[in-house]
Amino acid sequence: MSGADGVFTRSFRVITALVLIVWLVLPLIPLGIWSFAKGWFFPDLLPRVWTLDAWEYALSDTAGVMDSLGLTIYISVCATALSILVGVPAGRALGMYRFRGKAAVELAILAPTIVPGIAVALGIHSVFIWLGLANTVNGVILVHLIPTIPYMTLVMAGVFANHDPAFEQQARSLGATPLKTFWYVTLPAILPGIVVGGLFAFLVSWSQYILTLLIGGGRVVTLPLLLFNFATSGRNDIAGAIGMIYILPGVIILCLTARHLSGRSSAVGGYGRL
Amino acid sequence: MRNHLFCAALAATTALAMPSLADTADGDALNAMAWDEVVELARGGEVNFFLWGGSDGINRYVSEYIGGILADEYDITLNRVGLSDTSEAVNLVLGEKEAGVTDAGAVDMIWINGENFRTMKQGGLAYCGYTDLLPNNAYVNWENPSIANDFGVPVDGCEVPWSTAQFAFAYDTARFDDPPRSIPVLLDWIKANPGQFTYPALPDFNGAVFVRHVFYHAAGGVENLLGPFDQAVYDEVAAKTWDILNDIEPYLWREGATYPNSIVTLQQLYANQEVDLIFDYEPATVGVNIENGTYPPTTQGYALTDGTIGNTNYTIIPFNSPNKAAALVLQNLLLSPAAQAQKALPDVWGAQPAIDITRLPEDDAALFASIERHPNVVDPEELAAVALPELQASWTAAIEQGWIENVGSN
Repeated sequence: MSGADGVFTRSFRVITALVLIVWLVLPLIPLGIWSFAKGWFFPDLLPRVWTLDAWEYALSDTAGVMDSLGLTIYISVCATALSILVGVPAGRALGMYRFRGKAAVELAILAPTIVPGIAVALGIHSVFIWLGLANTVNGVILVHLIPTIPYMTLVMAGVFANHDPAFEQQARSLGATPLKTFWYVTLPAILPGIVVGGLFAFLVSWSQYILTLLIGGGRVVTLPLLLFNFATSGRNDIAGAIGMIYILPGVIILCLTARHLSGRSSAVGGYGRL
Repeated sequence: MRNHLFCAALAATTALAMPSLADTADGDALNAMAWDEVVELARGGEVNFFLWGGSDGINRYVSEYIGGILADEYDITLNRVGLSDTSEAVNLVLGEKEAGVTDAGAVDMIWINGENFRTMKQGGLAYCGYTDLLPNNAYVNWENPSIANDFGVPVDGCEVPWSTAQFAFAYDTARFDDPPRSIPVLLDWIKANPGQFTYPALPDFNGAVFVRHVFYHAAGGVENLLGPFDQAVYDEVAAKTWDILNDIEPYLWREGATYPNSIVTLQQLYANQEVDLIFDYEPATVGVNIENGTYPPTTQGYALTDGTIGNTNYTIIPFNSPNKAAALVLQNLLLSPAAQAQKALPDVWGAQPAIDITRLPEDDAALFASIERHPNVVDPEELAAVALPELQASWTAAIEQGWIENVGSN
């Protein structure tokens, strides 16, 4: 009986995985083909003329894609690290403790995901000008925290809601310092949550357009800015080539962290209580 | 309190960390100088040029050709900032003005015209009164009303022309012969060929100029529409225009149930043979899009016998640009006969010059005479033979709003 059940679960898993892969990868195929095409007209199944022109442009100094790739990675990594620094303690407070005004704090943290960025961007711009942060990379990193922190905090709140502080108390009673307790007990327990939240934060920062343009003042040119230029001008070939470069870091990070993303990971349910 | 202290400290350190470049934010001081002094001030500096970034050809021309000359001859670093929409740069300057940034703006120059220029000029966001300073300004014919007025708004020395453009249609010669060559013929053609024509929904720039052609036709000529906005004339002509457009709507692509949201969408519809006709305010687009593979190579541009609307596009320097001297050097370079001729080459950009060829020395004029236009782009002289002026912005705004209320929302 249990054998048949196992086969069913396994085939269900395989089918789900296939559907997900098709759903995620299929839209990327035309994009990849376009990046090597010179014209692709109905009703041709494949382009008639193949060329490396789009890639040649995308990799040229004029396009600035490679410089922008390095800068975008730097900004997103910094924004992710800062989100973790803020999101882990904030998530612990929200997930483990009850306090006066908790609902208001939760709403305030969620607000940036509800309010459209453009509505606040102009106001933030004038504040950042006053602070001397406009047109700087640091300013762009800081402003990216607005949309990234909610994701990080919410994931960590979920992890800490299922986290039992008794684990930590036990380590302390056995003589571990607070730092050791965090390093050997708390961190391993919440690490999958940090990975998942960090992945969210990275991808949210990675895809920012209007906040980067406004706060960066055009001096801080990230990949979405370059990509959007060509996506909106109908140049499917160059948008395809830049798009292929654009999705690389996301795909690499996804592959590296995939094992933390399955249902068996503690990022979803935590390790339960003692 | 602690927060405030932190912010103040942060602001102070960032201010200290800012490099003290040769600041040329004071436009009045520059206006009083000789050109050589301006060039000396600009040397070794940088200039941030914000322009639509959706064409690899234009990007290459600006970054490589113009940027190369700036670096080699003037030691100026050109930072080309690509935009998806020009209003993004205008909003940046507007935000800076509201925040009190009067001499340290991020934007040194914008490629601009029409509505965005009106916003800049009316908002006091433009640096003005310098055009006589530029040596190559001598090649600009400011007597020409279509240069001296940007969509009906007097330029008043607040921007410098870069290129001219004129609306033109195009069709695929491999699919049919004899396209409709005037607005009344087109209106009949649409009914005879249901589903084969559409235009982008307003406020798309190109959709709006198509509707203005129908508006001119309904008015029986543009002569009655020139000058300031006239409500009585507008009401009469607009009613006729909406009747015409609503009348053809069932014969448009998808029975007119929906309109493409932008010229780019219309270009894709044309490329995929869903519609038969395409148009563009920049006639060179036909050549550019054939060469980059967007259009079939059998696409041919053509003019209308009853005329098409022309415009000029410009470059503007914001009031708070800290690199005005370098921006002036860039503007002067953009106006030079060599740079204008390079821009007119079909494999570079194909844009028509904004300078008056008849004012050039003989060898410079020969440069333009030797340019062979892309064979599929309509002959600029054929187009210019029947050029129609643009209306003032108050008219164009009213027509846009009227279309949205009376045609688009039906």
